[in-house]
Amino acid sequence: MSIDFYWRLPTHGCHSSIHRGSYDRGDWSPPGPHNIAPGFGRDQEEDGFAYIDHLAEIAKAAESVGFLGGLIPSFPNTDDPWVISPLLARETKSFRFMIAFQPGFGNPVHTARATASLQRATGGRTLFNIITGGGGPAQLWWGDSFAHDDRYGRTSEWLDVFRGVWSGEGFSYRGRFYQVDGAGLPALLREEEFPELWFSGSSEAALQVASKHADYYLSWLEPFDQLTDKFAKVKERTAALGGEQKCAVRVDLVARPTEEEAWRDIRIGFENVTDATRNQWRGQATDSVGAARQAALRPTEARRYEDLIVAPNLWGGFNLLRGGPALGIVGSYEQCAARLDELIQRGADGFILAGTPHLEEAWRIGEEVLPLLGRNASSLLQAAE
Amino acid sequence: MTISSYWQIDTAAEPRRAEPSLRPRLPALVRDRRRPSQNRFDYYAQLAQAAAQTGFDGVFLPYRRDADESRIVAAVVARAAPRIVVVPEFPASVGSAVYAAKQATTFQRSTGGRFGWAIAPDADAATRAAEGDDIGDDALHERTDEFLTVARGVHDRRPFTFAGRHFEVKDGGFDAPLNRLPFPKLFLQGEDEKALALSARHADVHLFRAAPAERLAAAIAWLGELAAQAGRRVAFGLIQPVLVRETEEEARQEAARGAAGEGALVGSFDGVAADLTRLADLGISHFVLSSTPSLEEGYRVGQHLLPRLHSLTGARRAVA
Ligand SMILES: Cc1cc2nc3c(=O)[nH]c(=O)nc-3n(C[C@H](O)[C@H](O)[C@H](O)COP(=O)(O)O)c2cc1C
Repeated sequence: MSIDFYWRLPTHGCHSSIHRGSYDRGDWSPPGPHNIAPGFGRDQEEDGFAYIDHLAEIAKAAESVGFLGGLIPSFPNTDDPWVISPLLARETKSFRFMIAFQPGFGNPVHTARATASLQRATGGRTLFNIITGGGGPAQLWWGDSFAHDDRYGRTSEWLDVFRGVWSGEGFSYRGRFYQVDGAGLPALLREEEFPELWFSGSSEAALQVASKHADYYLSWLEPFDQLTDKFAKVKERTAALGGEQKCAVRVDLVARPTEEEAWRDIRIGFENVTDATRNQWRGQATDSVGAARQAALRPTEARRYEDLIVAPNLWGGFNLLRGGPALGIVGSYEQCAARLDELIQRGADGFILAGTPHLEEAWRIGEEVLPLLGRNASSLLQAAE
Repeated sequence: MTISSYWQIDTAAEPRRAEPSLRPRLPALVRDRRRPSQNRFDYYAQLAQAAAQTGFDGVFLPYRRDADESRIVAAVVARAAPRIVVVPEFPASVGSAVYAAKQATTFQRSTGGRFGWAIAPDADAATRAAEGDDIGDDALHERTDEFLTVARGVHDRRPFTFAGRHFEVKDGGFDAPLNRLPFPKLFLQGEDEKALALSARHADVHLFRAAPAERLAAAIAWLGELAAQAGRRVAFGLIQPVLVRETEEEARQEAARGAAGEGALVGSFDGVAADLTRLADLGISHFVLSSTPSLEEGYRVGQHLLPRLHSLTGARRAVA
């Protein structure tokens, strides 16, 4: 048994330290003397580098230390994964590009063709995190007016068509959202491997589609018992359809040589959170069930970082330090490895790990945490064999 | 008037080039250590680098349903080749206009503004059905119009709201830094009235197909007028196959072997440079040139034709 470990490309800029909220890598914060990619020379001229150059560094770091690739998120104010992946195709060797994709973004037949081309360009290193969007004003920002369950209906049909086009010539389909007559990939593109599909979404509608289509069901980290229940539910559904569901966890780590150092960094980061940041994360309109499960931790109301420790090494305030979900793992290298092992015992087959800053933390976690994995899970792994 | 030259990278023209598995097997005598990871994308990158090195201003990637996706190729080659503009062509049926515009921002940001957009002509009804594109003939023009309105709208304005028949956006529009660079230069094409009217409203450059000079002159005048009515300026371009050699005789000989594309200008470096200069005199400022094999011919055109074209059109400018 082996477990898939991915890293993450921060597509909304990155911070050089978890202590401060300013994006000094990339151009998401106002330009300053410390900014890089783009940076500013002594003469205040831009230095000619772009954020993609920093992403290239992270991707190369991740593949060097043994991550299979990275998740590339897609939100209104991020750079785009469909462009990042082919841009970085030729300067990476084994890094797999996990494109976050909402079916509403593109026609499934066109997307299948583009995917096959990207497979060729990368030597089969394309995969997807299929997302369905959080609804509310953000959905209409994207030009998508579908309601929550309709969006999942569309996601399901979109995946039917995407797969159908891939597997044959003369594929036809009559759905509620898509009608296709005689579709297929052109001969030149027909030999490419179908991309692995990861799938995110926590609602009832999401789990249904996941059981039918997902290679990996991906969840943000949640309190372990809650996550175990959720995985059990998806696995059960998929088993009922005659399949075997793999599950995966997307989680940030603050891993340090000692636990004290890890909490110290959390404390400093927490103390530097501004009220503006708190308010920004408070009450964002969404119909996402997954987001509601994270918000239930109520990180924006906490006054002390200790109030957000929900279990040993689990801290629920990550969204105050950077965009994304609330819960993450904090501890010594050994403790972080032990928590990941525990998640493996509870049914995780894959991980998307991240840490801030993404470049340096890819090296740190790759060199210090990944080598410790499997010690705690070994008895269970043996049992599974 | 400055002349811009683009070399065409046609993904359907030579799909077998540099694809080890699709080429004739080398005889066992030849020790062959190529890997599957070496493939046609190496060739595309090579073409773009060749275009950059030989003085083209950009490369143009026509939309080809039976071959690689132009926008994927565009991103791959843009990172591989410095300086040049990369213009993939794609149809307005690709999906969300907001998403397409957002992809364009990443491309612009990552390449220092070297991206262009060319909208491909609409497919026929059978092709559209095979592409899951559920739209009637009579709505195609309107869709492209809305697609472009929304794409430029979300780039240039915030909040941007639009409710059309094909696209709907509410309180949309990009924030900094996504829109730090301008919207890509937009290339449209087509010879009929509807196409020209669309260009008058949206295009930065209208690309004509190779045609006799009188026809081009008339079309240019017509579009110029439509654009003026819309209070805009549109630059004129031409998609022009060429076949050039040192001497006209060599070029003719090569053409007799079937090497010239449809409507190609065939002749010596000097002769074809003079032909293109006459077209420039009509008002054409953007030339999309093509010839296969694209690599060798690209070097030929870039090294020998372009300098002559630039010196002839430059001389005209100096006189004017
Ligand atoms: C691991 C993970 C990654 C996600 N990444 C993205 C993303 O990149 N872009 C996005 O718009 N939404 C993303 N989402 C959110 C989903 O689009 C969606 O809002 C959420 O899963 C809502 O579905 P639900 O109501 O079924 O929970 C992500 C969700 C998860 C769990």
